[in-house]
Amino acid sequence: MTAAMDDGQEVENTLRAVLADVLGLDPDRVAGFDESTPLFGALPEFDSMAVAGLLTELEERLGILIEDHEVDADMLETFGALLTFARAKALR
Amino acid sequence: MTAAGSAFERYRTRNSEEWLMRIGSEDAPAILFVPPLFEEMNRTRALLASIMRRLAGCGFGCWLPDLVGTGESLAPLSAASLEDWRHDVKAASIHITEKSGYSPVVASLRGGSLLDASASAIGWWRMSPADGFSLARDMKRARLAGVEWAGYEPSEALKADLEAAKPMAVAPLRTVQLQSNAGQADARLPGPALWRRSEPGNSEELAEATAADLSSWARSCAG
Repeated sequence: MTAAMDDGQEVENTLRAVLADVLGLDPDRVAGFDESTPLFGALPEFDSMAVAGLLTELEERLGILIEDHEVDADMLETFGALLTFARAKALR
Repeated sequence: MTAAGSAFERYRTRNSEEWLMRIGSEDAPAILFVPPLFEEMNRTRALLASIMRRLAGCGFGCWLPDLVGTGESLAPLSAASLEDWRHDVKAASIHITEKSGYSPVVASLRGGSLLDASASAIGWWRMSPADGFSLARDMKRARLAGVEWAGYEPSEALKADLEAAKPMAVAPLRTVQLQSNAGQADARLPGPALWRRSEPGNSEELAEATAADLSSWARSCAG
């Protein structure tokens, strides 16, 4: 497990890479995601199994632990919400 | 260099005989692949076969064992321990050395890195090695999709041993990560984290880059 990051841009790059990897999306498409891009409920690839994979991969790559009670529909709703969550966990 | 072939062989391990898939010549410099664990094993099977075929084309004999309780093994997963799996890797390495005349290079993916130190080998190569803690956490998190451990039924002892397991120090060792992963690595390879996909897939890009990196590392180990 890598140490928690100290760079917001690096967290964002990691989140985009993990979304492309876990959901099997074209990286160019993920590069076009902005704060308001809808995720959970909007992407057919983003099912509950993918949520589990996403959380684990974020943990491994950002060096963080995400507890079940921290995971809810709001935090997964948009790219912006997920990025805010990942930054809050990784940058401390 | 001899002509490539492929075969399924039996190797003798602790309490049973298990299958060993070979792609490439029996008597060529050998590479022993140690697969990821549980669901990640299924998700990377096609990638592993692609890598093995490419390396067979470069003159290597590539071998992939079924660990006891997995794949075609007749034993139930619930009867397998982490020590059994480490013993399987060691037994496979001895089988390969006897068959090929070469002590193998061991190539481990993900959780395979938790098992590979027991092998009798001239070198080690690891792709995206994972702590057992993280693997166990992921399997427990599968409850978000309905069922813990995604329907696998390992013994409580295996779960506990897995949670405490870390890749062990071996030498010489080369560690590779995906380009999108900032973790410690000797090299970074392009391609997706197929072990994370809910649907099994393959990547020609990753297979090609992996075969090239592993081929040069195996040659340098044989020095």
